[in-house]
Parts: sequence; structure tokens; C-alpha cells
Amino acid sequence: MSTQTFPVRSLFSATLASTRMRLLNISRYPGQLITDIIVPIVFAALPILLGRATAGENAAAVFEANTGTPNFVGYMLLGTSAFSIVSYAFWHIAYWLRWEMETGTLETLYLTPTGRVWIAAGVALYSLIRSIFSALAGYFIGSFVLGVNPFQGELLLALVFILVGAIPLYGVTLLFGAVVLKVKEANALVQLMQWGVSFLMGVFFPIAIFPPMLRAVALLFPPTWMTNGVRAAVLGVGYFFGEWYLDLAVLWGFLLVAPLFGYWVFTRVENGARRNEGLGQY
Amino acid sequence: MTLLRSSPGLTVLTGFKATWSAFWAMAWKELIVLARYPVQFVTSFAQIFIIMAIFSLAATMFSRGGDSGSNTPGVIVYGFILFIFLSDTLWTIGVNIRHEQTQGTLEQLYLSPASKFANLVSRVTNLLLWTGLLSVVATLTMSAILGELPFENPLLGLYILAISLCGTFGIGFAFAALTLRIKETAQTVANLLQFAFLIFCANFFPFAALPDWMLVLVRWLPPAYSVDAFRSTLMGYPQGYPELAPINVELIIITLFGLIMPFIGYWLYRRSEDHARRVGSLAEY
Repeated sequence: MSTQTFPVRSLFSATLASTRMRLLNISRYPGQLITDIIVPIVFAALPILLGRATAGENAAAVFEANTGTPNFVGYMLLGTSAFSIVSYAFWHIAYWLRWEMETGTLETLYLTPTGRVWIAAGVALYSLIRSIFSALAGYFIGSFVLGVNPFQGELLLALVFILVGAIPLYGVTLLFGAVVLKVKEANALVQLMQWGVSFLMGVFFPIAIFPPMLRAVALLFPPTWMTNGVRAAVLGVGYFFGEWYLDLAVLWGFLLVAPLFGYWVFTRVENGARRNEGLGQY
Repeated sequence: MTLLRSSPGLTVLTGFKATWSAFWAMAWKELIVLARYPVQFVTSFAQIFIIMAIFSLAATMFSRGGDSGSNTPGVIVYGFILFIFLSDTLWTIGVNIRHEQTQGTLEQLYLSPASKFANLVSRVTNLLLWTGLLSVVATLTMSAILGELPFENPLLGLYILAISLCGTFGIGFAFAALTLRIKETAQTVANLLQFAFLIFCANFFPFAALPDWMLVLVRWLPPAYSVDAFRSTLMGYPQGYPELAPINVELIIITLFGLIMPFIGYWLYRRSEDHARRVGSLAEY
């Protein structure tokens, strides 16, 4: 049965059902949600404490000379909060596929009349809700704990950067999902990816310190624009193109290209796996 | 292999030779499983390189002219080595027990006559080999990024590492005991413990950065003394190091920790195991 025979409304209801099921499941593990909030705070605390120990009273002044803002606590917290959104996107999409593989339900899923992309969209929506909640909670609680004002700058504009940046981000995770389907491994790849991502998006530092080639690679990655946009909106560290709307326009460009490209690659790999009977194996 | 019939109808494996044989077979099985995932080999090494680069670059944000400070590389690298051992111990020993439980093989292992102690300790072998190799890579990587690392008193450093690892494995056994009790929550607790150790053991920064109230808690944690003594010794005791206590006092604390903690951990594990067998929860998850 072809998925095209189903109205969009019923496919969209499959997406919402997938999201609801996952949200219901995670609500049973409040400890996991607390960990989600603690992660960005602890991760940010490491360079903050290192900086305070090495630079002492001059920490803010030295940090300002290197990054453009003396608020190193806010800078690190925003970096790790954005990182947690990006990292969870990869974790959730990769583990969704891997888990279905391991439990033997991926093949079953392919036999249902619902398109995988709609189910994947449900996973993405669940992931986005969960990660934005933990990132915001992490940022606000972390700011109070570490003694900075979380209500400075243009918070709404920062939220726009996150929401616009999230769509190409999930497009990129489809590429990653294709890799998981291909190599039948998720844990090691996600571990590597989350550190690679945090490096490229400049979780603790501006990408201006990268050599030109590496900087160019970083700029091809949507979360780099998202992170810098959020920091520029809240802390005033400066946009890549000088104005917020120009940086946001770049993210809109990614928004049009990344999901389509990710879908195209994912479908190709998926078809290859189905032809070679690789879906039921792990 | 010594076979001993302890009671009618029940055959158990006992004696050193049998335990050693069971240990070796289980350790070999773990290594074979590890070798089946070459992606994991490659990604682990790359991951270490990236983590080191991230924290090194973060450190340069607090320095003028890109110099991260004379003690910073030593503080980060040597602290990181003890952290990856602790983190891998929690996951390899504790969470893997949970993995056996969800796979349904934990109960089968307990129905076999093989040594349960060998089963637990075999997981350490894998960890020692793999994490040891990663530690060497981390050290070399950091040297390549930030210049030569201080490397003083290697023999004493090796002793501190070895005795600290004994204590760390004891923590792993205790965590495995907890895993049998709390089941699915084990992963969350492992994550929280990792973060707690990251902060309280100051693996990536000097203890001086912690507020006073936190230092009071830190002084009750033997792993914190391990981190402090290990990096201070390898850095040649620069001014202000060790930070928590004189090195002689730290060595006594670490030695007691390394000698006593494995026994406490294993004792806790046996208690949890007995409890799980009595209530029939070995196969539950």
C-alpha cells in the first residue's frame, strides 16, 4: 500500500502519535529530565571554573579581549544550552533508528503504510520539545546558580535563532541517521558526533580562532550560525554578517536545503538497506 | 579445571585454577565483542582528540596571547585520565550488568557454575586495556597541542594511578550492586555520578576554583585526593600543589582507598546479588 493514498491529516496524526508516545515514555523517568537540565550547567561549569582558576580576578577582562563579552558565564551557558539542543537531536534520531533495529521493529515499521519520514518527524518534534525545555531550564537555573542575569539581551530574537536553526539541524540528523542505517552502530558515532559538533559550533570559544579552512567547514554547519546568533542576541558578541537579519537569512537558506538533502540521502541509504535485506540485521 | 560436586545434583567450579579459567574466558569474550565494532575503536580515539582540543581552546579564552598557563595542560590532561577511568568503570562494570539483565543473559550466567567474582572482574580487564590506551593517546594529543607536558616522578605517579584504579574499580562494583537494585534508573544515576565526580574531583580545573563550602565536601572524597596527588606528582609539585593535603597524607588516604574499596564494593555486590536471587529479580527489568 502506498503512503500517497493517505491524506496528510492522517499522516500528521501518525507524527503526533509518535511524539506523544515518546513524551509519555520520558515523563515516567523524571530523573532523566533532571539530568537533561544538569548536563548544560555542569558542562559550562568546567571551563568557567578553569577560567576563574587560571585568570583569577582578570578573568572577565581577558575573556572580553578574546571573545567580545566579559560575561563568560553567560557565554559558556548559552554555548552548552545550544549544544544540548544539537546533541539531543543527534542522540534521539540515531537511537530511534538503532533501537528499532535492535528490537527488530524497524523492519516491521517498513511494512506499515505510514511513511518513515512522518514517524521521523514525530521523533524530531519530541526531541525538539525535550531539548528546548532542558536547554531553557539549564540556562535559567545555571544563570541563577552561577550568579548572572539571564534576562539580559534580546531573548526573543535568540529563541527565533533556535527555532529556525532547529529545522536544518534535524535535516542534518537525517544524514546522520543514514550513516547509522549503513554502519549499524549508534553509540560510538553519536559520542564522536556530539564532541565534533561542539567543537565546530564553538561551544566554549568563537570560531574566529579557527584556521581559515576549519572556519569554512564550521560555517557550513547550521548549529554554528544558531549558536552565534543566540550569543549575539543575548550578549552582543556580534553577528557573522554584522546584522541579525543577515545571519537569520543564512539559517533560512539552510532551512530550505538541509532537510531536502538529508531526506534524499536517507531515502537512498534506506532503499539500499531494503534491497540488501539489511534492515533486520544489526 | 577443578570440578567439585558440592551437593547432589549441583556442580560448581571452585579453586583458583577454575576461577582463573572462568575469568580468562569471560575477559576474552569481552575483548572479542569489542573487536567486532571497529567503528568504536576509531571514534574513541577521535573523541579523545576533540575533547582535549575543546578544553584547550576554552582555556586559551582566559589567557592573553593564546598561552593557557603553565600548569593548565597538566591539570587538564592528568585529571582527564582519572576521569575517563572512573567514567568507563561506571559504564563498563555497572551499566553492563544492566545490559546483561535486559538481554536476559544475567540470570543464565547465575545458573552456570562459573565464578561470579570472575564474571565481575573480567569486565575490568577490557577497561584497563582500552582506557589505558586512550589515556596514552590523550597525553600524546595534549602534548602535541599545547607543547610538552610536565612528566616528573613517573614511578610514584604510576603507583598513585594503580592504587587509585583499585579504589575506582571498588566504586564500580558498588555501582553494579546499586544497578541490580535500581534497574533502569542506573543509566541516569551513572550520568549524575559522572557529573558529580567531574565537579567535586576537579578533573578539569584546580581545586582552588571551587567555593569553600564545596571544598568541605571534597575533602570527604578519596577520589578527589587521587586526582590531586596524581597530577601534582606528575607535574613535580609546582607551587600550590597538592591542594587538598600534604602529599604524604594524600598517599595514605589513597592507599587505604585502593585497598579497602574493592572489598566494600564486592561485599555490596554480593548482598545485592543475593537479594536479587531471593526476590527473583535477576531476569526482571
